[in-house]
Amino acid sequence: MPIWMEVFVLMLLAYMAGLGIGWSIWGRAS
Amino acid sequence: MNIFRRPPLVVALGASAIFLLARFVAGASAPEFAARLSTEAPASITEAGGGGHVRAIFLTQRGLPSRHPLLVGGEPLDETTRADIAHAVASIPGVGGIRWSDGDMMAMGGEQVFRPLHCQEDVQALLRARSIRFEESSSRMDIGSDELIDEVVTALRPCLGAIILITGHTDNSGPEPGNIALSSERANAVRAALVEHGIPADGLRTRGVGSRRPVEGLEPTDPANRRIEFSVIATEPIRPTPVDTPAPR
Repeated sequence: MPIWMEVFVLMLLAYMAGLGIGWSIWGRAS
Repeated sequence: MNIFRRPPLVVALGASAIFLLARFVAGASAPEFAARLSTEAPASITEAGGGGHVRAIFLTQRGLPSRHPLLVGGEPLDETTRADIAHAVASIPGVGGIRWSDGDMMAMGGEQVFRPLHCQEDVQALLRARSIRFEESSSRMDIGSDELIDEVVTALRPCLGAIILITGHTDNSGPEPGNIALSSERANAVRAALVEHGIPADGLRTRGVGSRRPVEGLEPTDPANRRIEFSVIATEPIRPTPVDTPAPR
């Protein structure tokens, strides 16, 4: 796996985690 | 219209932005990083006893920089030295999983692959004692053959990933064109039964040869020629997943 893809996967996972956390905190209320 | 009211669009935009960012970040730093790893690798390889033979290539097959080196040139070395070399290279900070060019399914190819013929033999041994029986002039299997199919499925499991040819045969009562169609229908019926029992359909091929190939030593008219044979025609071994642990090969 090339390095750029490893970076992409890690950043994508972090992004998904962020979306999940953000949604669970602020998303439910609205 | 406010785009923030359309969550899927925002998520997709975010993912695209991350893709571009990853390309940009890695494009700026990856070549240098891979170059650093490949300058550090020879020292570790020499220390482990592979100096002069083994080279570590920190590029993917498409030539992109990678953390996962391909080790080439280890053919004359023994397993212990190869394991030492793999460990030494893997212990350089930043290096991921190791692959050997001659010992990995994903490597160059051209070398002999292990052929799991034993399952072909297992199945043939099962079918020598008993056979999958069919109703006369029909591709419907006898009720008693179900149990045998179960055993065949168990015997075929080690060959998963291989391509298995199911050949149907008939005796020579009746016209040959009909026999070929019938034998091929019977092979298809066995294939369907195997698929029903969980053998993946894409690894199974069928053909019917009619009465052209009677059992050796039997008259072509003998009903015992109505049979199904299994053979392994190609192997596509299941590829091991590269993991971040060094292996001897």
